[in-house]
Amino acid sequence: MKKNKRPSGPKTFTDISTRARDGDAVVMTAMEFKEFVKTNGVKKAAKEVDIVTTGTFGAMCSSGAYFNFGHSDPPIKMQRAWLDGIPAYGGLAAVDVYLGATELDDSNNMMHGGAHVIEDLVRGRAVRLKATAHATDCYPLKEIDTYVSLKTINQAVLMNVRNCYQNYAAASNTSGRTMYTYMGKLLPELGNATYCSSGELSPLLNDPLYRTIGIGSRIFLGGGEGFVIWEGTQFNTGVERTPNGVPKRPAGSLAVLGDLKQMTPEFVKGLTFTRYGATLGLGIGVPIPILDEDMAKACAVTDKDISTAIFDYAQQTRARPVLAEVTYAQLGSGEVDIKGRRVPTSPLSSIYKARKIAELLKKSVAKGDFVLTEPVQRLPLDRSFKPLDTRSEKEAMK
Amino acid sequence: MKTKLVLNFNPEASNLPITHNLTAKYGLLVNILRAEIDEVGGKMVIEVSGKADSIKTGISYLKEAGVGVRPIKEGVRRDDEACTHCGVCISICPTKALILDSKTHKVIFKEEKCVACGVCIDACPPRAMEILI
Repeated sequence: MKKNKRPSGPKTFTDISTRARDGDAVVMTAMEFKEFVKTNGVKKAAKEVDIVTTGTFGAMCSSGAYFNFGHSDPPIKMQRAWLDGIPAYGGLAAVDVYLGATELDDSNNMMHGGAHVIEDLVRGRAVRLKATAHATDCYPLKEIDTYVSLKTINQAVLMNVRNCYQNYAAASNTSGRTMYTYMGKLLPELGNATYCSSGELSPLLNDPLYRTIGIGSRIFLGGGEGFVIWEGTQFNTGVERTPNGVPKRPAGSLAVLGDLKQMTPEFVKGLTFTRYGATLGLGIGVPIPILDEDMAKACAVTDKDISTAIFDYAQQTRARPVLAEVTYAQLGSGEVDIKGRRVPTSPLSSIYKARKIAELLKKSVAKGDFVLTEPVQRLPLDRSFKPLDTRSEKEAMK
Repeated sequence: MKTKLVLNFNPEASNLPITHNLTAKYGLLVNILRAEIDEVGGKMVIEVSGKADSIKTGISYLKEAGVGVRPIKEGVRRDDEACTHCGVCISICPTKALILDSKTHKVIFKEEKCVACGVCIDACPPRAMEILI
């Protein structure tokens, strides 16, 4: 424990980030902090601990990266572009494209999608770039076939519109056949159940009311540094919460951005979910300043206090039926009870990597290398999640 | 003694009642782990248990019958570098050869428990599991 003079009441964000920058902050991982609170109580924790580092590593589908390749000679205004055969969106000016993590090639080869190309680039590999265009007087070239790597690309920026979900659904399958879903392989007749959150280590579950994580928060992203740039898509505050504010269903999410050139393959991984497709395995960590006792109480949350529902993915509808309400402690025990049956569980989220991220982040925050930033704007507290229905032009205007 | 064998069948050998013979004539317990055999031959993976001598004579019988025999120490291999330790595999592995270590939170692969059923292969998102037979 550091011996510098500490304020007795609530601390400001600036107090904490200044102390961290000077290397004087008391920093704990989420795992350590929960133990500390168990032994010493919330009051002491709020007084003595400055920052708690959280982490998560899992499949984060709504991810992708934009690139600027520089200009060819003669120049080209890329309309259609492919990176290692995976289509990238070229409807931006000239030589900027966006590659989605779940994009597949024309043969729908799920073993190698946009996420795998992103991982290849992070690994330092060269990737084949092909592009076509309608020629203009200022951009006369009609096609190009070349190689690029992170060394040749100007900007390579991971920009994800929905990551780091605050809580997530769990899945099982009552049908008679194996179902291949984004929740993994679901065996028939309640053969298994899968879930996808790092639970008590997950950033937004330690800051359930978005008091410290907001737009402008500096975060650990894929092994480098990034920022929260907006609320994530499908952000939904209209879900039931526990008295501590912890949502019982998927709620908030983050849109994030960071320099791909800083990232490492350990935390940026192309994944394949059989018969679903490709997606990006990504590591995110957020340091949370312990401003006061409420924040300490929020970060003391454990898997016993966080619950979710197991949905029946056999029902191919938007509103899948709930099979059971469970806590993450139950899910993490390896078995849950569904309708009187003991069903084995699997996480989709790597707790091993989530813990590693929390530890790495703790080290760099404690050394003053990773500087906490106060959000410039809070995440919304009033977002509903609207469905997509087939509707008329008039109905859409209502 | 227990051993896992990969058997290769040519069209002639594919009609022989080899598992029956291994049991009835050589007193071996045969557990069929995988079998893909049709009119042009195929492969079978079996685990045989019994006395060492009986296994030896059983293998000689198979070879004389024209069945290719290859002992295997491992049927499934994990690429440790590719594994993210997410744990998707642990609930689908029927023999609990894949388990989460509660201390390290890593997925442990107990090869001796693996029966090479292959159910983990297409369930693994980073494609860290490979079937060798």
